[in-house]
Amino acid sequence: MFSSSQIDASVFSGGGFMPSQPSQLANSTPSPARSRDTQGLISVTVKQISEASQSGDEKSNFVIDGVDVTNVKVVGTVFNKNVRSSDIRFHLDDGTGRVECIRWVTENLDTREMDALEDGTYVRVNGHLQSFQGKKQLSAFSVRPVTNFDEVTCHFIECIHQHLQHSKVQSQGGGLSQPQMADSSLNTPVRGASNGYQPALMNDLSIQYSADGLKGFDKLVLNYLQQPSNIGREMGVHVDELSQQLKAPMEKIKDAIEFLEKEGLVYSSIDDYHYKAVEGC
Amino acid sequence: MDTSSPAAFVNGGLLRMHVGRKVRAVIQVTRSDVGSVMGKSTDNRQLVVKGTPPVPLTSYVEVIGVAENDNSIQAEIWTNFGDTFDASSYDQLCQLANGEFKHLFL
Repeated sequence: MFSSSQIDASVFSGGGFMPSQPSQLANSTPSPARSRDTQGLISVTVKQISEASQSGDEKSNFVIDGVDVTNVKVVGTVFNKNVRSSDIRFHLDDGTGRVECIRWVTENLDTREMDALEDGTYVRVNGHLQSFQGKKQLSAFSVRPVTNFDEVTCHFIECIHQHLQHSKVQSQGGGLSQPQMADSSLNTPVRGASNGYQPALMNDLSIQYSADGLKGFDKLVLNYLQQPSNIGREMGVHVDELSQQLKAPMEKIKDAIEFLEKEGLVYSSIDDYHYKAVEGC
Repeated sequence: MDTSSPAAFVNGGLLRMHVGRKVRAVIQVTRSDVGSVMGKSTDNRQLVVKGTPPVPLTSYVEVIGVAENDNSIQAEIWTNFGDTFDASSYDQLCQLANGEFKHLFL
């Protein structure tokens, strides 16, 4: 029979889980300006493109806000469309500047796609940022007309959002998992009156996401409910009071309460508007 | 690469900051005459836009032109933005693009 002293970590060496190496999981945290081949699509304004510096490595990428950029998305209007035999060129004007775009035409599908686009049409261009004879250009692999103009608003807000994400990572030296943030903003669909997205951008700039899973604001709500004076109140705390004391809109309070309730940290007391923190947590 | 003549995102209230310069705004058309259009800016102020609107004109139209004064724009480019548009998001974009994030735009 094995006595406990005979079983140690060496028994498990050679395969399987190594309990003493938790750092294996964390080695994928990238450094902020790490150059990667599969870079996501970054929403930018032409002004940002014009200010992008060239990164030093052989890949001749550009750097915007400290992040290596190869593929970008811009939204603007088509100007000076010029149809040639092997390619179609045009300038894209997004209100912050103009950039030359080249769409290489290899099959009829490409030509048909470009035919529909007259000067003055609003389009979304996805392309590869390049430099040619000292001038920046976009080698477009997708040029699609904008049909829902909320997309224009959404694109510029994405530019601001991604700029903030990248700048934040720059100043923190890579503490946040930056690529995940960028990807989640890419998945944001174009919505109409999407109150959920826009106010979050405005209000959350000052609230940092804490690393232990509880978002900063949820923690504020929990802390308030956990104060001894509030624990002692039999009826619990009304959500209006939470809204007043924490100076936050009711929507936010309700979201935080819902989350904390799910986690089993708070419960409703006399009715759906009064909540108390679970004691002993 | 040409970043000359950028157009600033404006609503009614921000128009006065860019008088004499190129601006862009989305307005909700209230009245359309020959040579000018009256509309509501995204922050609910009355604006007059001079020029030749496209025909037909949708409810929302983006105009790009020069700001004449704090409530009128001489438009060069008109783009129909359809009959549904999220004006409040656009309005907040105007504020961000003129404030903290001006350097990304102008």
